[in-house]
Amino acid sequence: MNEVAITGLGVVSPHGDDPHAMFAALMQARSALTLVYPELPKPTAAATVEFDASRWFTKLQLAGVDRVSQFAVAAADLAMRDAAAAGTVEPQRMGVYVGCGMGGAAALDAAYRGGARVPPLTIPAFMPNAPAAHVAMRQRALGPVLTYSVACASSAVAIAEAAQAVQRGEIDLAVAGGAEALIVPGVILAWQAMQTLASFAPGEAASAVRPFALERSGFALGEGAAFVILESAERARRRGATCYAVLAGWGLSCDATHLTKPDASGQARALRQALARADLSPPQVGYCNAHGTATRIGDVVERAALAEVWGPQLDQLQVSSTKALHAHLLGAAGALEAVITILALHHRQVPPNAHVQDMDPQCELHLVRHVHTAAPDLQAAISNSFAFGGTNSVLLFRRP
Amino acid sequence: MSSLQELQDLIHEKYGIEASALDPNASMRDKGFDSLALVEFQFAIEDHFGISLPDVDSHIDTLAELAAVVDRIKASQAA
Repeated sequence: MNEVAITGLGVVSPHGDDPHAMFAALMQARSALTLVYPELPKPTAAATVEFDASRWFTKLQLAGVDRVSQFAVAAADLAMRDAAAAGTVEPQRMGVYVGCGMGGAAALDAAYRGGARVPPLTIPAFMPNAPAAHVAMRQRALGPVLTYSVACASSAVAIAEAAQAVQRGEIDLAVAGGAEALIVPGVILAWQAMQTLASFAPGEAASAVRPFALERSGFALGEGAAFVILESAERARRRGATCYAVLAGWGLSCDATHLTKPDASGQARALRQALARADLSPPQVGYCNAHGTATRIGDVVERAALAEVWGPQLDQLQVSSTKALHAHLLGAAGALEAVITILALHHRQVPPNAHVQDMDPQCELHLVRHVHTAAPDLQAAISNSFAFGGTNSVLLFRRP
Repeated sequence: MSSLQELQDLIHEKYGIEASALDPNASMRDKGFDSLALVEFQFAIEDHFGISLPDVDSHIDTLAELAAVVDRIKASQAA
């Protein structure tokens, strides 16, 4: 079986579009959350992206291209450039695997608000597979171009599926990741109605999200895109590409118990699968970038799943949810957090779990409590993504 | 009066393309207006002129042809 190497990283994130600068900001616990739409009845924090579409599109090319697809094209292109992969692959042997939860939310919002005048390109702008299609056109990928809509696990699933295709030798190169851009009033109100978004005191939007903390109250929405380039380690070596990490294992499972309530045993199954595929035991994995949405129930269940698999060795696993700093990118969360996990391995530093005064005793974990935490012995790390719908995805990376 | 000048202004405003860069008698498709961009532009034209373009315009290929259609509709809807 081919070993799967990660040879390129690209992000359009609330912390900018340079993955290393983004990682440095996270290491300093710099929050990208701000107050958005002050006219909404309930104060709302979100992490938005400063994006200059003109770097990737002429105005003419933007016809029918929603913000979510713009992010995808940009982040995928940055990843391809980082990997210096353009022109190294036969187009038919190149695949695009994209996670997206909601598609072009801004296009749909505008259509509803426009009264009887609905813009004619609302459908192509909104359709959830548009980001993948735009990436394929931009990179001229003629192989499988697929979209995974698995809520918060979408892009982690997309990366796992891409890895599978590379490992089996079905394709030579995969551009895999996710994009999401749904910070529009209608979507915010819908999430608020579900009582999942964090509340905060005036002036404290930046620290609204407190994963695993006693005083946590939910997550904040984020937008952006993240992509990685996957190819066989052998191919990467042959063409002299930088290998950031090896995607050594992945696990996919479904709780099949409840649409929105997570289940520890389902998550534990995904964790065990990833470990088994990588042929690693729990103590060999030093860091977990947790799903950690800071909801009352979610964090407790994730802790229970980790405890079930790690057992008495749980304390050896350093854990942080970086959603405290970049918010929840939903369909793009798995890919963004995969990039962060890869960079943690690459730099041998682990980002902090910010905004925790007192850890919830029900979430007893070895949280990364300090900024600039070095992890000199770090060899392998996991990124968890657990979705509404019950699908669980775990990606396990190790140093090359 | 021809709508050409107004269409050129609209193209400049919407797409940043100078009138001199788009020969009214050349193919708009060759200048990057694919079928989706043309559909979107026709929507903008309807908004701008307060008219309703018929759905027969898929063979319109030049700005001059487009201006002629707009002129005809303006005239008929004013009548």
